[in-house]
Amino acid sequence: MMSLPWDPTERDNMANKQRGEGTSVEKKAENKKGADDFNLALDSSDDEAPEEVTFEDSKARAVESLKLALDTARREKELLKEKRRKRQEFFQEQKKKKLLSADLLEEIDSVPSKKQKQAEDKDEEEEKRKTKKPTGVRNLKGSYTVSTVTDRGQSDYQRQAAEDFIQSRLYGPGSCRSSNNEMLSLQNKTRADKSAAVQFVKKDWACKEKAKAEKLKKRWIHKQQIPTS
Amino acid sequence: MGEFKVHRVRFFDYMPSAIRSMAFNSHTERLAVARADGAVEIFNFADNYFQEKQVIAGRDGRSIEALCWVGCRLFSAGLDGEITEYDLENLRPRYSIEAYGGPIWTISGNSEGTLLAQAGCEDGTVKMFEVLEDRIQFQRNLSRQKRIISLSWHPSGAQIAAGMMDMIRIFDSETHATHRLLVDRGVGASKSREVVVWSVACLNDHTIISGDSAGKVQIWDGLTGTLIRTHLVTKWDVLVLAVSQWQDESSVIAGTSEGTIVQFQFISSTVGQQDKLWVRTRTFKNHSHDVRALVHTDSAVISGMDTQLVVRPLLDKVEKNTQESALRKIAFPHRNLVSCAKKAGLLLFQFPDHLELWRLGESDRNTPGESLPVKRKPEKLIQLKTKLQGEDHICCSALSPCGSWLSYATVAAVRLYRLQISSNNISIQKVSKLPRELKSVHQLCFSSDSCRLFASSSFSSVVVVALDQTDCKYLHTLKHKSSRQPIHILSPSEDGQWLATANTDCEIHVFNLRKMKLHCSVPAYSSCPTAVSIHPTTGNLVSVHADQQIFEFSLKQKEYSEWSRQLQRQGLHPLWLQRDTPVTSIAFNPNNPAHIMLHDVFMFCIIDQSLPLPEAKTKFYNQMILRSLPEPQRLRESHAFKTCKNFQHLLSVNLLEDLSLVVVERPLVDIVAQLPAPVRQKKFAT
Repeated sequence: MMSLPWDPTERDNMANKQRGEGTSVEKKAENKKGADDFNLALDSSDDEAPEEVTFEDSKARAVESLKLALDTARREKELLKEKRRKRQEFFQEQKKKKLLSADLLEEIDSVPSKKQKQAEDKDEEEEKRKTKKPTGVRNLKGSYTVSTVTDRGQSDYQRQAAEDFIQSRLYGPGSCRSSNNEMLSLQNKTRADKSAAVQFVKKDWACKEKAKAEKLKKRWIHKQQIPTS
Repeated sequence: MGEFKVHRVRFFDYMPSAIRSMAFNSHTERLAVARADGAVEIFNFADNYFQEKQVIAGRDGRSIEALCWVGCRLFSAGLDGEITEYDLENLRPRYSIEAYGGPIWTISGNSEGTLLAQAGCEDGTVKMFEVLEDRIQFQRNLSRQKRIISLSWHPSGAQIAAGMMDMIRIFDSETHATHRLLVDRGVGASKSREVVVWSVACLNDHTIISGDSAGKVQIWDGLTGTLIRTHLVTKWDVLVLAVSQWQDESSVIAGTSEGTIVQFQFISSTVGQQDKLWVRTRTFKNHSHDVRALVHTDSAVISGMDTQLVVRPLLDKVEKNTQESALRKIAFPHRNLVSCAKKAGLLLFQFPDHLELWRLGESDRNTPGESLPVKRKPEKLIQLKTKLQGEDHICCSALSPCGSWLSYATVAAVRLYRLQISSNNISIQKVSKLPRELKSVHQLCFSSDSCRLFASSSFSSVVVVALDQTDCKYLHTLKHKSSRQPIHILSPSEDGQWLATANTDCEIHVFNLRKMKLHCSVPAYSSCPTAVSIHPTTGNLVSVHADQQIFEFSLKQKEYSEWSRQLQRQGLHPLWLQRDTPVTSIAFNPNNPAHIMLHDVFMFCIIDQSLPLPEAKTKFYNQMILRSLPEPQRLRESHAFKTCKNFQHLLSVNLLEDLSLVVVERPLVDIVAQLPAPVRQKKFAT
């Protein structure tokens, strides 16, 4: 190998790889060490002839590395499976703890089935009555409530969506809106006989703000009085 | 001239609803206005812009997005997905059909009046309906797109331009779309939001004008699908466009969110040259809030979120400083929303969804010219809501003079209640069984002795119902043979003998209640009556019309009275005729039979029939001058019309039995304070 007058670049190192040397370590070594080391390394390999690497060797090595990769993948999958299995068992145990004991369940079980049966019977009766209804009117017994369909469901939802669209386009974010108070106050300020902002001019505006201001004022006065008293 | 104790009432929280859409019918010169709460109002432009009719078909959840005239029929469509046709003679919706396309954003008819196109929202289809004699029928769908916000027919009916999100599509009469015009988004922050084409207009020469939410008005060539010109008009949205129906479509106005109107005209940049361009000419600002509806006739009619209707002449061909060139603002309804129980001192306020009954306060001092301290404050006695949420809005209400009966009517039903009010106890009882004939009522009135209830019903008839202690019985239906239009004024006489009715066909009929038949009809006058009342002592019928004319008709002699003839010969003072709000009620003073008390929104006037009428040259508003003159000169200078402008934005003036006046005011500032938010405008030095 010739000594290169410049720092070895990737292409040169690639050439080394192709020759089958374990060049990664050497690469780093070459890059990190100073010029002297570089010369030394070159010297050591300079005298000897390049190693002969047979095709079978490299093939074997490639196959090994593949196997390694497959093995690690398999192992990882199995680890995950184990984890999942454990978690599932844990959850099932938790569930069992939460559930009631088997006896209670049996008791409760019998009652709902009865209710269901009753409901089914009632349905059948209703149907019978419904089919009989055209011939004569009968009073329905039992606890039924009849109510008209007042909500229009789908159309109300669509109407609301449309209204929200207009509202958001005209008054939503990005619409730069101010308030009526501001607008009227500006008018008060810019007309010939200037007067104060409308919140102060009108007695019944901004009641909450005025109440808050009153409270703060009282508190401040109280604070002022305490040190003196 | 007597002096009155005045109850100045400002606790009526009347809040009009925003105007959402307008449509002008150029053949009949009627403007239909749709409000956000579902009410439709008809204004007669030929008759001094009088608000003729009101169809209160609103209810919670029904909002109207678009109105359209097809011939003389009025259609509306709203976000609930239904198209409704209105019966304007009976003031109710005739029918409504479901369009099955989700919320409807706009409808418009073609110029032949045969087809009605509407755009659905959820589906994005344009549905074509055929207009038949008594209904409309679905014809076909045009191909499905995304949400369509606005539509415009080409005047020949061959093309439709549809404004959508980020683009405009042009359909031709068959279903396939021909062109797609892409609209630019705004700059800066609004680049990320889709631009909504709020309005499109198609002109005869295939030019399409569009207004969008980025504040641009763009002019496109509809045949090639290219953009000709862009005008950036505002930082906010251009919400609505209107093309003039006069003047060869050479003028277009655009309304914006700021409340300004911008006019574009198709003129050449130098006089005499042939090359014409769309040029931005004038800008008007008459509104403080968004403009959402616009109509372009020879003047611009503008309305929007601030609930006022402004009619502004576009001063091209109109002379300045005349009656026609004046700006008109219609802010208050031309009918009475306040009923007064004269004997009991109670007021009934009508809101769309509830009624409020108040008792007036009292004061014991009596110094003239001063504001008196209130000893007992006015109190709200009853708030009566219509029964269920989502029920129809109230279209009329009445309170009997003795304060013991209360009645209101919606489009579907009439309700009557018996009240018992003592000093510390109030009870209200509903009268359950009402006569079948009391339905589809648009005006209610009690007789002065509270024994009869008059209701103006469909086909221009009046239903008379007798009221007993706890129930009511149907008595009679009064009708004039050839009347078709709805009766909007009912006025019984004090002695219970006569009932005067006026309908929107400008007819005034007087019925004899003892014999229950027609007594006489006042000779037809071209203008619609706005207030009618019968004098208690002389038995003369006084009527005031939309063009501010006053007539007095004697019922016994069945002819105009001498005073009325003299008034017509001399003519009314020009300042009186130039007022732009109508007189909505007439009252008489029992102490002084020569006095007639009228009011409109801006003034309150007492006409003294014993004084001479003012001539055209004399000063009309002369009360302040008269006060400064010595006594003998005062009598010489005074004329019959005594006006008082102390109380502004009057909704109602009534004279109570104890001769005190009740004045219900609603300052405009209070209405403006409750409107939705206006846009934020940064001004220098604020």
